[in-house]
Amino acid sequence: MVEWRRWRVPLGWLALLLAATLGMGQLEGVFRWIESDSRQVIYARADFLTLLGRHLLVVSVAAVLAILVGVGGAIAATRRWGRDFLPLVSQLASIGQTFPPVAVLALAVPVLGFGTLPIIVALLLYGLLPIVRNTLAGLEGIDPGVMEAARGMGMSPSQILRQVELPLAAPVILAGVRTSVTINIATAAIGATVGASNLGDPIISGIVNGNTAYVVQGALLIGLLAISVDSFFARLPLASAH
Amino acid sequence: MRTPRPAPNVVLLILALVGLTAWLGLESVSVAANRIVPGTGYRVVEVIGGGALLVTTLPWLALAGLAWRPSRTRFIVALVIVVLMLSALPAWLALSAAMLVEGGQARLGIAAGLWVVFFLLLLAMIELRTRLALSRLVGWALLLPPVAIVGLGVARWLSALALWQEYRSRSDQFLGALGEHLLLVGAAVGASLVLGVGLALAMRRWPGLQRVGFGVLNFLQTIPSIALFGLLLAPLAWLSAQVGWLAALGVSGIGWAPALLALVGYSLLPMVRNTFVALEAVDPGVIDAARGMGMSRSQVFRQVRLPLALPVILEGIRITTVQAIGLTAVAALIGAGGLGTFIFQGLGQAAMDLVLLGALPILVLALLVDALLGALTDILRPGVAE
Repeated sequence: MVEWRRWRVPLGWLALLLAATLGMGQLEGVFRWIESDSRQVIYARADFLTLLGRHLLVVSVAAVLAILVGVGGAIAATRRWGRDFLPLVSQLASIGQTFPPVAVLALAVPVLGFGTLPIIVALLLYGLLPIVRNTLAGLEGIDPGVMEAARGMGMSPSQILRQVELPLAAPVILAGVRTSVTINIATAAIGATVGASNLGDPIISGIVNGNTAYVVQGALLIGLLAISVDSFFARLPLASAH
Repeated sequence: MRTPRPAPNVVLLILALVGLTAWLGLESVSVAANRIVPGTGYRVVEVIGGGALLVTTLPWLALAGLAWRPSRTRFIVALVIVVLMLSALPAWLALSAAMLVEGGQARLGIAAGLWVVFFLLLLAMIELRTRLALSRLVGWALLLPPVAIVGLGVARWLSALALWQEYRSRSDQFLGALGEHLLLVGAAVGASLVLGVGLALAMRRWPGLQRVGFGVLNFLQTIPSIALFGLLLAPLAWLSAQVGWLAALGVSGIGWAPALLALVGYSLLPMVRNTFVALEAVDPGVIDAARGMGMSRSQVFRQVRLPLALPVILEGIRITTVQAIGLTAVAALIGAGGLGTFIFQGLGQAAMDLVLLGALPILVLALLVDALLGALTDILRPGVAE
């Protein structure tokens, strides 16, 4: 019962997102009122569920890769054999945050071409930064006394990593993942301009054709998606510990 | 007793070897007949031949050698080499242009190999700067020679560079877009500074406001920019149709009005958060001491609390400005102008150099603002002796 209550808000947002995705056609009257000049007021080039699915797919592929590479890289840079790389990695993670996501996306296209691939790569690169930065902060922020105690108990380095360092750093790492995913949902939408088809599509198509109704439909769904995902992250047990 | 040999600097060693591999193996420049067709790539050896290629490997090998047995002197030498190599990249482009480009329409593009080399050299510079414990300002100063060489040589020797050709054919437009971009960012940051400080002060006075205020701002920050721009489109269009003086001001569903509104909305969270935290974090002992000296409430605020909080507030301005520079690029989609226009035009026409003309200045702008405001924060931080 308590468990269920925790997820009430995110599930509510999710239900709203699904309802809006599936029931957009029912709202034709409202959109007809917004955009009275156009013949067609419901975006029809692809159905919203497909667009939502593609959006989620791109963001989750990029997120999983970013978590693997980012957390792995940060762990490597804090081990004894990887310490040499620590200054460069942490500098890079903080400088990289300055790069606007749009610029990163735009720069990926000349190198990788149009389509879904440049978006995944751009999202991966950009999504790495908050994860790396937070993992480093989490691992470096552990009380040296705790590490000392773990070593004194005879734990091996890999045991310390799995049973002490990662659990203690988890809230900070998770906060980084949350930032990363939030930014990537937004950036993926802009990816519609470089030929990926996702929830950004109706917006771009609406702006190009001057159809406000399309824009509102896309914007509504992306907004709901971002809020649902963010509120899930906000309620993960680890996040509240911090 | 011999002193133990220092361990190799693995980072610099790897950077040098990967850099050498990219320099030798990847296509360095490309030549295209016009702005739309994809160019033909050329590797370094195809431009200057094998003998000269061997000469160009020397600085890479020198870097690797210096990394093998590092010392402070060797790091300084390595840093000088890296700066020289960065300065030589424009010269390399000029040479390639002279060797490869014929005819008025043809243009020289920078291919993957050269970007990789450029990026690795920057990484090497950051690494060396960190190892030598040089300040951030010195790091930026080290970039001046390469930038100066590009600035001086671009019109004369790099006229075949595709990026430069894109710029030259729309230089007025470019300056206009840059102006619009800066104006939007400035207006958004200015407005959010005034509103943000006001809101932070109100939150300090009425603590009940904190939860609601931060809740709303956090929520706003979650909504993707493109969605917020889109959602503002309909209400603003409606408002300008209903209210005459708004329409006269130029407010409409697209253009600067929704862009500015959204930018201010996004800017408020970092601004309010930092101002609030900064004002709260001032040591109560200091405030007590100031009161004890007979300062009035407003004196305490203006002469003690605010100066002590200033670095953190500035930090908020820095985050806000960098974020606004990126978001303004997206605002080009809803017709707000700015450098993002080139990005989306270029993507639409599949003209990659036009995309670069938009994206690179945005990147440089963000880095520049970050560096300048970061330096200003360091200067204003109290208690740090010169």
